[in-house]
Amino acid sequence: MTLYDKIYKWLDERFKLRELLPPILKHPAPEYAVSNPLYCLGGTAFLCFLILVITGIFLAMYYKPTPEEAYKSVQNIMTAVPMGSLIRSLHHWAANTMIAAVMLHMIRVYFMGAYKKPRELNWVVGIFLLLTVTTFGFSGYLLPWDQLSFWATKIGTGIAGSIPIIGGYISLILMGGNDIGADTITRFFALHVLILPMAIAILLGMHFLMVRIQGISGRL
Amino acid sequence: MAIIEVEKKQAEEQQKEPVRVRGLPFFPHFLLREVVVMCLIAGSLLLLASLYPASLLKPADPFTTPTPIYPEWYFLYVFGFLKFWTYDIGPIPAKIIGVTVPMILWYGLLILVPFIDRNPSSDIRKRKIAVAIGIIVLLGLLFFTYYGIVHGE
Repeated sequence: MTLYDKIYKWLDERFKLRELLPPILKHPAPEYAVSNPLYCLGGTAFLCFLILVITGIFLAMYYKPTPEEAYKSVQNIMTAVPMGSLIRSLHHWAANTMIAAVMLHMIRVYFMGAYKKPRELNWVVGIFLLLTVTTFGFSGYLLPWDQLSFWATKIGTGIAGSIPIIGGYISLILMGGNDIGADTITRFFALHVLILPMAIAILLGMHFLMVRIQGISGRL
Repeated sequence: MAIIEVEKKQAEEQQKEPVRVRGLPFFPHFLLREVVVMCLIAGSLLLLASLYPASLLKPADPFTTPTPIYPEWYFLYVFGFLKFWTYDIGPIPAKIIGVTVPMILWYGLLILVPFIDRNPSSDIRKRKIAVAIGIIVLLGLLFFTYYGIVHGE
């Protein structure tokens, strides 16, 4: 008996792997979803998400969310931290690719009519995922605290602030005051590394679970 | 590749005979393809990140407005629509319409898509209206994105 068999047997006696694994591993994926590359878009977005989580954790180890330190800490990541430039650039590219993949995935689902009964609610969850992903991009954009991020956030909070009725509250909650400052940067940081990751984890779980229960929609 | 045959009951069509769907087992066949695609994408991202590193401009200065300034590319259509729409409708000012339509109305309509489109067919030839609306909306998004780039502040 090899070591692998021993470990498998040990786990099998405790978790009934023999019953548990085959439905997961042998679950059939429809042939059209395997051969058509258009079905890769959702998976591409998910891979980008995983890369973003890993590179994001490394960036959070060096980043300092204050107006005085933010720019210097990003400069430090780009010039002094080993591999820092690569990690931040990967984070940047994975973020943009993820948003593009999410949009293309949505276009694919729309034109294939894959949102129809029984998958209506999965489309709704998908729209909330799109909102979460773009908010991720928006909140992450400010963090380097350079001219581009500061003024793009100025436009963004300005646009959000002019929505009737709720706009004023949205911009107050986002900025933590009347102008972009120390409170804004900590709020955007908390949003980017705490609130949105939790939201996206829950939404992704729902999204995948529904695909698993309802199967992949086919035909074109 | 081993293709397995799976029985799939279609309760809606009340068929006595089970419909056979050709499929591949998730492991290892489906996962293998996923891993290949993932390697290609991870490789492309590494290449892009090495050739075109993320930029870092001058530190933020609240007193110096750079020109031109743009939002992120995926918000350009909102920005473009705001610049494009300069007409008041009755008592509603143009600016309110300019922000409400591409944010609130747009996402509201997107959420409602499965409930508006009640056509049960997912055959593209039987969904001419939905496909036409989709193409018009896509062209509209591209137009407002372009408008946003041209009319940057």
